[in-house]
Amino acid sequence: MTKVLTYKVLYATLFVLTALVTVRCAKDEFPVDEDGLLITSRTSAYVGSFDLWSPTHQTVVVGTAAVDTVAQTINLQVQFGTDLTRLWPRFSLITDAKLEPKITGFVDFSDLENPKQWTVISGNRQVRKVYTVHVTVQQP
Amino acid sequence: MICKLLYKAAFILCTTAVVIGCKEEGYSVPVPKSGLQNDVIKKSVGPGLVGMDIEFMYAMAIQKSEGKLVSAKVEASIPGASETYLEHRSYHTDAVGNDIGVPVATPSVTNGAVTEVMFNVDTTATTLRYYYRPTPDAVDKDVSFTFTATSSNGQTATYEMGPYRIRRMEIASNLPVSNGNRCYISVEDMTVYNEIEAAAIPEKIDVLYLFRSIAGINFNHSLVAPAADAIYRPDITLPPGVNRNTKIQKAWNVRDIHLGANANGNNSYVYLDDEDFRTLDLRAAPNYAINMLAQSGIWVETADAKYRAYIYVNSINANGSAVIGIKRYRL
Repeated sequence: MTKVLTYKVLYATLFVLTALVTVRCAKDEFPVDEDGLLITSRTSAYVGSFDLWSPTHQTVVVGTAAVDTVAQTINLQVQFGTDLTRLWPRFSLITDAKLEPKITGFVDFSDLENPKQWTVISGNRQVRKVYTVHVTVQQP
Repeated sequence: MICKLLYKAAFILCTTAVVIGCKEEGYSVPVPKSGLQNDVIKKSVGPGLVGMDIEFMYAMAIQKSEGKLVSAKVEASIPGASETYLEHRSYHTDAVGNDIGVPVATPSVTNGAVTEVMFNVDTTATTLRYYYRPTPDAVDKDVSFTFTATSSNGQTATYEMGPYRIRRMEIASNLPVSNGNRCYISVEDMTVYNEIEAAAIPEKIDVLYLFRSIAGINFNHSLVAPAADAIYRPDITLPPGVNRNTKIQKAWNVRDIHLGANANGNNSYVYLDDEDFRTLDLRAAPNYAINMLAQSGIWVETADAKYRAYIYVNSINANGSAVIGIKRYRL
């Protein structure tokens, strides 16, 4: 009786181990893009919120930035005295989306006549939406 | 049969291990080392600056049966300023935490780099404080210290400390500034001037302090270069020649302990060091900083690229005044 029980436990353990090894070794079939990011089935591509930081890592936006997902614009006002040449944009995007071009450092916003643009790309990498960031400076 | 024997042997081994392992060790009073002993700790932390004391604690002791302390001295590798001294009092705290000094020696005498006290009270153990104030001669150099104690039985004990690099940075703290009056800040002179004084030395004025209440914006307490665009220095007519174009970069969460003591244990306080100024890159910086808050600051590079500095705002007042401090590095 004891021997039978021992064999049962042994077989059960062996089965669990084999299952684990099989699952662990299964080939990863999820695709990734050129940045190594997961390509999913999501088709949404929009900006949730936007902020601008100064080199001191403080926001320079007066109030909050107005994001229009239909017109694909972001309108915001920065504080008087903000150094527009060195600002760090901070986008909040829909799940799985990514931004182009990438933000890798401070961005020069001083050319107010030619607003900066970024493209939001959906999780399935099929939908691309160009957002334009319009900045105005608070005036006395 | 063999199994039973094995079980019994294992049981006996385990029991023995527990008995031996739990045996309480007997306590014996430590035997003090024979002969004159000494030890030193450096109490002050942060970089050493000219004019700012570096503090040590020098402890020395000898067993009563072997003799008593005769003298204590400290020799610095570079002579300190006249304010350098070795305490002749041994301190303890009373019941309410007051620092109580008990004289045990004659006040210290400094000859060149050597500072010495002679014990005039029978003392076998004491801790004396040593304050070394670096002079400009020590800038960019390493300074070391040799602490020496002698006892009546002829023994000598020594302890080496250092080397410690004395930094190039200079400091001017707690400078009051006020709108329309003492608002001309000179990094060159590490001080603040009024309009009449500034008119006499326009080439030395690097930053202006302004306070304005302007509808629609937060101008408030601002630090701007004399050459800044007029929109950033409204309603002020500068004396002729006050026109330096200083690089100014706003800073936040840079609370230097030399410029403002860490009174509430905030762990964001730091010591700015020579290296911070050496590696500072203000090439892209503007020449103004609007709406400064208490405990904020600005990084500065003078127009002639002679100095980099950090101007810290210790406090601000709603009436248009503030207290600032300057830490400067000569390039």
